[in-house]
Amino acid sequence: MATATIATASRVRTEKAPGIKPSGWIGFLFIAPNLLGVIAFTLIPLISVVVLAFTDWNLVSGLGGITFNGIDNFVAIARDPGFWHAIGLTLVYVVVSVPLTVVLGLALGIALNRPLPGRAVLRAIFFLPYIVNVVAIGMTWLMLMNPKAGLVNQVLDAFGIQPGWFASSHWALPALIVMAIWGGVGYCSLIYLSALQDAPAQLYEAADIDGASAWAKFRVITWPSLLPTTIFLMVTLIIGASQGFGLIALITAGGPGDATTTISYYMYQTGFQFYRFGYASAIGLVTFVGVLVLTLLTWRAQRGRALND
Amino acid sequence: MRRKRFSRREVLAGVGAGLAAAVVPGCSGGDGGRSGALQVWGGVPAASGPGDVVKAFQEKFPQYKVNYTRFVNDDRGNLKLDTALQGGVDIDVYFTYSQGALALRAGSGLAADLTDRVTADPELKVFLDTVQPRSYIDNGKVKALATAREPFFVLFNEKLRQQAGVELPHDWTIDEFRSTAKQLTTGKTVGAYTVPDVARIALGPNYWYDGNRSNFGDPHFEQGFRLGREMIADGTAFPWTEVLARHLDAYQQNSFLTEEFHLWSTAPFNLRYLYDAKKYPHDFKVAFAPSPTVDGKDWNGGSFSNFIMINPKSPKFEAAWAFVKFWLTEGATPMLKGGKLPALGGVTDDQVITGMLGKEPDKYFDMDSFRRVVLEADPKLATDTRLTGFPEITLAVKQQRDLCWLGEKDPGVAIREVRRLADAAIARNERRP
Repeated sequence: MATATIATASRVRTEKAPGIKPSGWIGFLFIAPNLLGVIAFTLIPLISVVVLAFTDWNLVSGLGGITFNGIDNFVAIARDPGFWHAIGLTLVYVVVSVPLTVVLGLALGIALNRPLPGRAVLRAIFFLPYIVNVVAIGMTWLMLMNPKAGLVNQVLDAFGIQPGWFASSHWALPALIVMAIWGGVGYCSLIYLSALQDAPAQLYEAADIDGASAWAKFRVITWPSLLPTTIFLMVTLIIGASQGFGLIALITAGGPGDATTTISYYMYQTGFQFYRFGYASAIGLVTFVGVLVLTLLTWRAQRGRALND
Repeated sequence: MRRKRFSRREVLAGVGAGLAAAVVPGCSGGDGGRSGALQVWGGVPAASGPGDVVKAFQEKFPQYKVNYTRFVNDDRGNLKLDTALQGGVDIDVYFTYSQGALALRAGSGLAADLTDRVTADPELKVFLDTVQPRSYIDNGKVKALATAREPFFVLFNEKLRQQAGVELPHDWTIDEFRSTAKQLTTGKTVGAYTVPDVARIALGPNYWYDGNRSNFGDPHFEQGFRLGREMIADGTAFPWTEVLARHLDAYQQNSFLTEEFHLWSTAPFNLRYLYDAKKYPHDFKVAFAPSPTVDGKDWNGGSFSNFIMINPKSPKFEAAWAFVKFWLTEGATPMLKGGKLPALGGVTDDQVITGMLGKEPDKYFDMDSFRRVVLEADPKLATDTRLTGFPEITLAVKQQRDLCWLGEKDPGVAIREVRRLADAAIARNERRP
């Protein structure tokens, strides 16, 4: 019986619609505009970065000025304190901001999943930071976190705390982390919300019949069913956070000192301010490998724990 | 309805035509799709002077047509210019504003050799001066010519100065600058925005370099960091936390106009904010004092700047040179409204006054001090000609200055870190081919 079903399905897949010639050319014609875009703006730059990583090139000297220098750039990276400092800052930024964003997003998602008056409006409000222009976000937080006249410090003053925020090498990175969390929580909550609505209702009913507590239901049903969503969010947020550039360029320019020179900004400085495009490409390549490893570790750490696995 | 079936050949032809349509407009061939007009790229908006220079040039040389394109003079704008020059875009003449880009472009084959033209022209011989250079000379070849002279001076708010009973200095030392800032500090107004560049005044051009190393071991660098930090600490210079938190470096004029600070060490390009009280409201006149001296040395913190260069790939070299020479010798008067004094002079005092100080100069400026400091004085300006690792050193100085002036790092420690970073940048760049 099973064999017959598979054979029928196979026949269906290989049957052709009447009037269409078995040729792939038409298909290629339709996807050509998109394919050209991908080749021009993704594939060629990617390959270029890999090639340039093994060169010394200042861009201004043109293609004729490219000098291949073997693995010199990678040796220099290993000895570059600026690179390791930037890697350290990026790790702090990722390790603090990503889990906090996910946890707060989950809490908000669960809260918004309950019947609340004005729930749709609340969802929209929490999602807003994700879609607002980065310049507007930057300017708003710059005003809010002004050490002297900002609203944040006026509130904190009641507790005797007066952080320097963007004007302090100790507080600038925490300020950026706060902004990243604020910007990402709404997005996470929305993704979690859709996952929560797909959670198997019959399991909750069974748990209710068994008299399970709310915490037990969360631990045994909700969390395992949300695990694939959590992995997705962790992976995308890790990639996003390790590439964070816009707000840093806009607000701190990597400072004060080098307090917010994360790896993306360091790469930008190296390439676009110092015109060391070969070295910047090597940094990009090393960072790519690092992010890939971090992503795979995250994925592997949670594999097999989802409800459906 | 009968469906048209495409043959493989027709499909290939279609794809080929589509590719050609997409690619051809982007690739304009080896000559960069050159037009008949002379293409000039600059960072100053056309309305702030270049438009009038171009108009005057075309009136004098009707055989030439000029098209002026403005690029934004920041990292991205300069990258756009660099890629355009490399990619064969039709550019004949262009401007360079930052020292780092100057060395890079001149040393990478993006600037024509102008030595013969400059040497042959008595009017331009001053560009061969190497003591107070106004040109960028790369391996003995003149590659870029300064079009502007931008001396620094110190501006006083006349209303507040008179209230404080402070004399307007005709010449003064850096210590007197500090004591004056203290006298001018009130509960509402900080004495000075920041301190002039002490080391530049004492050491002059190429002050970052000493042989094949950096020069940050010179005590004037630490003196400058320490002076700034002490003045911020005693409330006579603007708090650096505010400068960073409000991005004030780019908007100093707003705080000067609202009397948040008093002494303002700046250059002519900021005068445009001071003669238009409708657009930039204020109710005080501004007076001028020269930059203070350091240990009897009087190099001015300003420089010859706004370098004009010719693209060596330009097929219109003669027209390009005619335009460059016109700008340098007689055409730069319209640039006064943007605060750019012509590098070769050639303008009358009245032209400078009406060009730089607006329609009612007496209403907004103390004209005696303007004449004394800007028109009659001959400050020692310079152009840096050693530029190895210049962008890296610029960043190191800025980063460590910020940490020092925020009170997070001792001036001595900060300047030693600058020295370490600068030495490394110089060594690394001199190793490059």
